[in-house]
Amino acid sequence: MSEEILAPLAGKIVKMNLQVNQNVEEDDEALVIEAMKMETPVFVPCDGTVKEIRVKEGQDVEEDDVLAVIFNG
Amino acid sequence: MRPYFEKMPGFGSELKKGQIKRTEKNLEEIKAQEALIAQEVEKVKNAGFPTEKINARGEMTVWQRLEYLVDPGTWCPLHTLYNPADNIEGTTNVIDGLGKISGRWAVIIGFDNKVMAGAWLPGQSENILRATDLSKRLNIPLVWLVNCSGAKLPDQEKFYANRRGAGTPFFRHAELAQLGIPVLAGIYGTNPAGGGYQSISPAVLFAHKNCNIAVGGAGIVSGMAPKGHFDLETAETIIEKAKHFKAVPPGRVEIHYDQTGFFRYVFEEEKGVLDGLKDYMAKIPAYDPVFHRVAEPAPPKYPVEDIYRLLPIEQKTVYDFDEILSRLTDNSEHMEFRPGYGPEVYTGLVKVDGFLAACIGNRQGYLGKNYPEYADYPGFGGKLYRQGLIKMNEFITLCGRDKIPIIWFQDTTGIDVGDEAEKAELLGLGQSQIYSIQQTDIPMMLIVLRKGSAAAHYVLGGPTANRHNAFTLGTAATEIYVMHGETAAVATYSRRLVKEKEAGKPLEPIIDKMNELAQDYRDKSKPLFCAKTGMVDEIIPMNEIRKYMEAFTGAAYQNPRAICPHHQMILPRIIKG
Repeated sequence: MSEEILAPLAGKIVKMNLQVNQNVEEDDEALVIEAMKMETPVFVPCDGTVKEIRVKEGQDVEEDDVLAVIFNG
Repeated sequence: MRPYFEKMPGFGSELKKGQIKRTEKNLEEIKAQEALIAQEVEKVKNAGFPTEKINARGEMTVWQRLEYLVDPGTWCPLHTLYNPADNIEGTTNVIDGLGKISGRWAVIIGFDNKVMAGAWLPGQSENILRATDLSKRLNIPLVWLVNCSGAKLPDQEKFYANRRGAGTPFFRHAELAQLGIPVLAGIYGTNPAGGGYQSISPAVLFAHKNCNIAVGGAGIVSGMAPKGHFDLETAETIIEKAKHFKAVPPGRVEIHYDQTGFFRYVFEEEKGVLDGLKDYMAKIPAYDPVFHRVAEPAPPKYPVEDIYRLLPIEQKTVYDFDEILSRLTDNSEHMEFRPGYGPEVYTGLVKVDGFLAACIGNRQGYLGKNYPEYADYPGFGGKLYRQGLIKMNEFITLCGRDKIPIIWFQDTTGIDVGDEAEKAELLGLGQSQIYSIQQTDIPMMLIVLRKGSAAAHYVLGGPTANRHNAFTLGTAATEIYVMHGETAAVATYSRRLVKEKEAGKPLEPIIDKMNELAQDYRDKSKPLFCAKTGMVDEIIPMNEIRKYMEAFTGAAYQNPRAICPHHQMILPRIIKG
C-alpha cells in the first residue's frame, strides 16, 4: 500500500525534508510550500518509507499535485 | 437553555506523536523568549531599595502588600513592563492588575514604595488611567494601595500638567464614584500634595497609624516666599523647619481621623489596613457566579501547555487556530457561529469557568480554491475578506444583544487589498465592524497571539477600541506594526530606487536605508517593545492565557450593568438553527 502526499495549495516548495528510502512517521514535516508570503507545512500522512519524491526545492506546484509517495506496507 | 450550554459540541484533538516530535524546537524557542521577558519583570520587581531595607523600617513593600491582600492564585498582573516615558527607574512606579479580594474581582493598583517612596513619575498617570478605565469597563471596584511621596520634582514638566497628566486620575476616581463603582484606598507612609489627592480621591480611606495625607508636605510648608536666591540665613531656616516637619508632618492621623474624619478607619498594623480592605470587599455588591453560569466550570479537555507546540513562533508558518482555542475553553467545547462562511475567522460561543463567552480569532492557512469568492486569487487566513467581515459584524451585534463578553484572538496581516477588494466593500466593512463594536456595551479582551497589523488590528477588538477593550495581552510571539518592516521599506523607498536608477546613481545607499528601516521595524514591534510602550497591557506565558480569560470572564460577570436572561438569548438559537 502506498499513500500520496498531495499539494494542499499552489505555491513554491521552499523546504524538502524527505529523501527516498527514508523511514518516516505519521505527522513528520515532509516539506513546506510557500504562497502569499506564508509557509504551509505538509505532513507525512502515515508511518512508512519514502518511495518516491516528485518535486524539489524551488519548484512551483499546483494544488493537488502529487509531491511524494509513502510506502506503508 | 440547559440543553444548549451544558454539553456543547467538542472540538480539538490530542497531539499526535509526530506533532510532538517536530514541535520540540518551537516549544524551546517560546520558553526561551518567555524566560527573557520574565527577567525583565524581575528587574521591575527589584527596582529601588531592596525588600530587606523597607522591611527593616517596619514597612511592607507593595509586592508584599499585594501578596497578603489578593486571594491566592488569582493575581493577573497588567502593565508590569509599561514604561512609556523610558524612566531610568524602569517603571511607571505603580503596580496593577486584576485579582480577587475576599472572593470578589477588583482592579488593584499600588505605588511601589521601594522606588523614591512611591513618587509620581513620567508615564504613571497613563498607567493609572488604564487601571481606572479597566475598573469602569468591567464595573468592578478599584482598590488602591497608596504610598505616594508626590512628584519626582526634577521631572515634573513631563507629567504634572496636561489633559492626561497626574491630576486626571482624581477626576477618574470621581467618575467611578459617579458610576457607582467603589474606589477603596489603603494608605501608608507620607503622602503630600499629589500623594494627598491620591489618598483623598477614593471613596473609602483605610489608614495606617503612621500615614499622613496633606495638601502640601514637609518639603513645601518648610519653604518660604522666593527671594530670587538662597543664602546661609535661608538655609539655616530651612534646616530648622525641615527638622520640625519631619518629626511632625501635616495631615497625620490626629488630624484626618480625629479632626476631619477623612480616614474612615485607622489600623495599628500594616496588615490591619489590608484586613480592613478585605473585610470591605466582602461587602461589595457582586453576583454569586451561579447566577450567570451556564454550566459547571470545567478545565479544557486538552492541556493548555499544548499551545507551546500549536502556535509556531516563526511568523510565516501556518497553524490551526481551532486547536489552540480548544486548549482554552471548558471541556474543549464550543458552538461555532456560521461555520463554513467567512472561513478566515473563527466566531463561536464557548464556556470559560462555566460562564458563556464569545470568541473571535483569525484562522491561518489556505482557504480553498473558491475563496474569496470575489477574486481570482487564493485567500489566506490572517487576512480578512468580505464574508469574514460580514460574519464578525453579525456576531458582534448579536453578542451585544445577548450581553456576552467577547474574547478576541489576533494573528492578522490585514484586510485584503486591491480593486477587487475595494469593489467587495472591504474598506466600508472594516469601518462597519468598528461601528458594530461601538454599538455594543460589552467588555472585550484581546490576545495578540502573534501578529497585529494594519487596520485589522483596530477592527479585531484592538486596544484602540477604548470603550470596549478591557485589556490586551501579548505573547512571546507577538509583533505589532502598521505593516511588515520590509513592506514599509518598499513603500518608503521604491520611487527613490527608480529615480536613482534612472539618474545612473548607485543603489547601495538606498538599499542600506531600506535595511535600516526594516531592522527598526523589527526592533519596535517585538513583545518587550509592545509591553514597554503599552501596545499590549501585559506579555504573558502561553500557559497563562486561560487564567487571564477566567479573570476577565469572572470580572465581567461579577456585576454586569446589563444582563440578558439565558432563555431570551438569540445567538445560541441562530447557531442551532
